[in-house]
Amino acid sequence: MPGVTLSRWTMSYFALAMACLIAALALIVFGFGYPAMGVAAPQTLALVHLIAIGWLSLLLCGALFQFVPVLIARPLHSDSLPLATLIFLGAGLVLLLCGFLHLAGLPGPAWSVLPWGGALLAFGFCLAIYNLGRTLWAARPLALPARFVTVGLASLAATVLLGWAFTLVLGGVSASPLLAELTVGALPLHAIAGLGGWLTFTAMGVSYRLLAMFMLAPERDGRSTRAALWLGAAALTVAIAGGVAAIWVGFGPAWALAAGGLLALGALGNYGHDIVQLYQRRKRRVIELNSRMAGVALAHLAAATLLAIVLTVTGTLGHYVGALVFLTVFGWLTGLGMAKLFKIVAFLTWLECYGPVLGKVDAPRVQDLVVERRAARWFWLYFAATDCAVLALLADQPALARIGAAAMLLATGAIGHELIRIRRLADVRGAVRLPPGTRQPHLLVSLVQHA
Amino acid sequence: MTTAFVDLDVRPTLRAGGEPFGEIIGAVNALAPGQGLRLLATFKPLPLFQVLGSKGFTHEAREIGGGDWEVLFTPGDAPAAQPQNAPAAAPSTDEWPAAVREMDNRDLDPPEPMVRILAATEAMQAGEVLCALLCREPMFLLPELAKRGHAWRGAFEPDGTTYRILIRIDGAKGAA
Repeated sequence: MPGVTLSRWTMSYFALAMACLIAALALIVFGFGYPAMGVAAPQTLALVHLIAIGWLSLLLCGALFQFVPVLIARPLHSDSLPLATLIFLGAGLVLLLCGFLHLAGLPGPAWSVLPWGGALLAFGFCLAIYNLGRTLWAARPLALPARFVTVGLASLAATVLLGWAFTLVLGGVSASPLLAELTVGALPLHAIAGLGGWLTFTAMGVSYRLLAMFMLAPERDGRSTRAALWLGAAALTVAIAGGVAAIWVGFGPAWALAAGGLLALGALGNYGHDIVQLYQRRKRRVIELNSRMAGVALAHLAAATLLAIVLTVTGTLGHYVGALVFLTVFGWLTGLGMAKLFKIVAFLTWLECYGPVLGKVDAPRVQDLVVERRAARWFWLYFAATDCAVLALLADQPALARIGAAAMLLATGAIGHELIRIRRLADVRGAVRLPPGTRQPHLLVSLVQHA
Repeated sequence: MTTAFVDLDVRPTLRAGGEPFGEIIGAVNALAPGQGLRLLATFKPLPLFQVLGSKGFTHEAREIGGGDWEVLFTPGDAPAAQPQNAPAAAPSTDEWPAAVREMDNRDLDPPEPMVRILAATEAMQAGEVLCALLCREPMFLLPELAKRGHAWRGAFEPDGTTYRILIRIDGAKGAA
């Protein structure tokens, strides 16, 4: 059993992802897309995909290529596919965004590039699913966290299939009535499969292992964890497969979404119970910044769940869906993503630089690569600004929300700067910074030293 | 004469990512004269055929579905369980000496267990064995041990929460 080495391209995924997040926040600040424009405007579609694919999906793919092998104690099926995957996803995203801008009336070719963007993205995600799927398949029977990831990958496949179908219809390639019906009715299913299944469910699975690892808490594999897995998988199946079937037989997907929503509440309740247990039963009393900020992000997931219930019960979900998605994407997914990025980049950089000389010379600790006190200020600013923006959206004050987004942009830029400093070992002082036998890691690529 | 077989199922150990070699040799050494071993594994354990063959066992392997294998090791004319009569096995399959150093790293923050293990290995002599307890499989440590030429054997304890790893200093250099 050979263990796990550094995933060469994971830093490239992270860098491109952070660039997309910063670009998306800048667009919001400058009034491109929601909330300055409607939730269904083509500009908003471009913005949403810049965040969902450019930021969140690249972040998650980069992290999974490194950490699925850790979850299942087996090497990644292919170490060379991640680069091709990144190229296809990047190119597909650019074409998809151009296609949306074309819909918005901006100049472009006479034909639509949307289907091409959809095809390249579908191929890129297929490569990722194939690589991670083969890796998981070889490790059966899977531990619970890896089963969450498997359900997440299945949701990604559903998201991609629906999205590609939309691009074929909107791009004028297909006139199939089945696809046309999906394009009219399945947008909520596409969003739920992406944000709920792929991004949230996968993050939940990975969080079980990472939180237990970083806080020295006993792993959760009891009844509540299994309930979270099966209820979540059932919720996604009912909402997505049931929703598609309902659209094709002529009903709306509303009943499927309602049933899926109830199952999802059960899954989130069990997950919440597990997370509280992980924090309460940790052996490590003083926890690092990443675990504290992951806790804040998890509180935002709880808040988003509560908001969804309130909006549904009061019949205002349609009006405030933008605010709900904003809270889910920035409070929960982005908050958790940046918190874990802060730890993962430091750990991988430390391992790359000092792993070969550990025990032979004086080397810094992982904590010596980061300045938590400085970074903590930016994380708190980020979450406070996000909350202000959500409140402004709920108060129908889009201009105020954009001011909040400006503070989010500032904080995100500063956190990005901290990540670059970590990668450059800029905060490691003295002779331990680059002892004999070590070399400065590259910013974007991890070089693995073989025996 | 019909042979009585002792059952040993190493599939749980293998699925947990562990190394069942010590378990198998322990079971073989515990066999009474004339007893055989019925081994269940998740793959066809080719290396074992040679090792146990050198101890006088013949083998009969069949696939039992789901990728799993059943192997019957039957003692030959030579009495079983006499390791002192066995020819010298390859360095990766022989008996390891007792650990000269033991560490309990279960309550340390990652990656401190890895840091301490590597520091300890640097201070030990070739051929010596280090035993460490961990709370998970040390996935990032193993490539580093390989690079430094150390051999290791590790598996979860029966409690399923403690991972025990034995590291033999420079143990992989002779095998290479």
